[in-house]
Amino acid sequence: MLKLSGMAVSSTVLGALAQPAAPADYSIDIAPYDLEVAPRRSIKTIAYNRQVPGPLLRFKEGRPVTIEVRNQTNNSEVVHCHGLFLPSEVDGAMEEGTPLIPAGGHARYTFTPSPSGFRWYHTHTFAGKDLHKGQYTGEHGFLFIEPRDHPGRYDQEIFLALHDWDGELASSGDGAMDPVYSVSTINGRILGFGEPLRVKSGERVLLHILNSSPSEVHWIAFSGHQFQVIALDGNPVPRPQAVSMLRLAPAERVTAIVEMNHPGAWVLGEVRKHIMAAGMGIAVEYAGSSGKPRWDQPENLLWDYLPFAAEGPAAAEQPGVVRIPLVFESKFAGHGAMDRWTINGKSYPDTVGPILTAGRRYRLLFINRSTNDHPVHFHRHTFELRRLPDHPEIQGILKDTILVDAGTRVEVEFTANDPGPTLFHCHQQNHMDTGFMMLFRYA
Amino acid sequence: MVAILAALLSARPLHAQGNYEIQVYGAATVEPKSTMVELHSNFTPDGQKHQIDGVYPTNHQLHETLEITQGLTSWSEVGFYVFTSEQNGHGVQWVGDHIRPRVRVPDSWHWPVGVSLSTEVGYQRAVYSPDTWTWEIRPIVDNYQGRWYWAINPALERTWHGPDVKQGLGFAPGAKLSYDFNPQISGGIEYYADYGRLGSFDSLHDQQQQIFVVTDLNVSPKWEINIGVGIGPTAGTDHWIIKGILGRHFDWKKPSLVD
Repeated sequence: MLKLSGMAVSSTVLGALAQPAAPADYSIDIAPYDLEVAPRRSIKTIAYNRQVPGPLLRFKEGRPVTIEVRNQTNNSEVVHCHGLFLPSEVDGAMEEGTPLIPAGGHARYTFTPSPSGFRWYHTHTFAGKDLHKGQYTGEHGFLFIEPRDHPGRYDQEIFLALHDWDGELASSGDGAMDPVYSVSTINGRILGFGEPLRVKSGERVLLHILNSSPSEVHWIAFSGHQFQVIALDGNPVPRPQAVSMLRLAPAERVTAIVEMNHPGAWVLGEVRKHIMAAGMGIAVEYAGSSGKPRWDQPENLLWDYLPFAAEGPAAAEQPGVVRIPLVFESKFAGHGAMDRWTINGKSYPDTVGPILTAGRRYRLLFINRSTNDHPVHFHRHTFELRRLPDHPEIQGILKDTILVDAGTRVEVEFTANDPGPTLFHCHQQNHMDTGFMMLFRYA
Repeated sequence: MVAILAALLSARPLHAQGNYEIQVYGAATVEPKSTMVELHSNFTPDGQKHQIDGVYPTNHQLHETLEITQGLTSWSEVGFYVFTSEQNGHGVQWVGDHIRPRVRVPDSWHWPVGVSLSTEVGYQRAVYSPDTWTWEIRPIVDNYQGRWYWAINPALERTWHGPDVKQGLGFAPGAKLSYDFNPQISGGIEYYADYGRLGSFDSLHDQQQQIFVVTDLNVSPKWEINIGVGIGPTAGTDHWIIKGILGRHFDWKKPSLVD
């Protein structure tokens, strides 16, 4: 598959006057957009096809696709397909070699989508102190690669994106500046604005939930209901579990089945009160029910990856697995600035990335010595969680993004099976912009 | 000798706000359901040595001021002051009390600098300040830029009862510039002045001008520590003052993960 996709790939950046040769499967226009998040409350942003989230891209695994992207903004852009095994030249990160699309220009990405599951696409540009660029905008959308066998029967499929808007830099508890937001939405709207999700009693609803926030972790509950989690980051989990609450770090996805067995009008939304008050919620109405949706406020934050891991003791670390320690630390830059971030003592572009040998198994040791949590993302590969804080070895959970809590250590393993420059970074926009990136290369 | 006598006669005691609470305000307000308790300790090693118009000399006075500030909303607070003075021959004396409501520009306005406005009114005994009832309005603008922090407080003062009651508005600005050496230690200078009546400033000789070298120790979000040494180069100013602020933040909110 990897060789085939490598052969099938092409990425072309064209000038404004160049004409594409054949129709693309999907077209994405990147353009300014006034997003109406609430009555009489609009946010000026950038969006894909003038909608937030952007259009759902639905692919079939293994069938080549072409996406035409037109950049109608005043800045260079690039579109990253997150969680796919793509060659570096179309993965959508300029650090790996994907060309930027100049202002007014367009590009065609042709590739063979893999692996199946719930992925997403988003901008991968620098924002810095401008909290109206990069992932602070509405440049994100769902991407679903149809599996050959779906991991569960369902009656209705719903995609939900959690996002935070209208950010500004403010002093945080660790003494540095961090983004804070005044508006939080699900699918671009605050609670009470827009249509509710309409369901029927007895339905099994397949929820695909994405945290597209530039920097915020979100805790989600659905009053009166439970989530039967079947996949994390689009990858089926060994042990699906029913949970009352989800935690999604930036870029994480959860796929869950919800049994609609509690008729009424309910709220699905952020557990923390100040974020719910900023709008992060959506009403869910059963057929025949109406009125004010009910929210049962949880009193705790509950989440653990462990119950989804394969049952029984995990296999010990295999001989020949190469260990790569990655130490995350911050450098103080003043109470009026964002910290600089380092991996093994250096900030991007000075970080020294490992040289991988194709076919070899590696264990990444994420050692977070900072006081911030970091949702770290590894491009073009999937890794397996092997060790979580205060837990023995685990196996079976495949992800592309994992939250490493402050002061903790997480270990993951992956097989180097997709040659090409590969970016590793914290998915918090303000962290990756201030040095938290590293480029892995293949020998 | 004549010049010295003239200087002594023209020297005016600092307004109570300034000499008992020596602080350049930042724009941030105390959060609702929380309280900041501060002790301001100001000692004058070299100040006014003579009693003028019945006002005690400031030389070797130790001023202890208790300031309690309660957060009201995310953009407002109110502060209360109890001023005291300790001096050989006079013992520990109550000086007066002030109240200081303050509002600030909410975060949601996205202003590029912090802006707030405080007003302070109160009483001080005539043996410590000839103007016994005073009012002050203090605009506050501040901003962090990387490791640098600046704040300006162009305050206007008005006497409601006392010899200066007919003098109108006085201009008493304060300003601060500091640099973050590391997350815990900042250092810089603070400037305090009283130029006299707005539109008719006193001569420089009679103005109050003070410059402090200060350090702020950011040891914990719960604590506030500010220490400084100030010099007053004009005849109208105490020549040396040592100041310290020790503050403790109390949060009355019930700890909750979901707030």
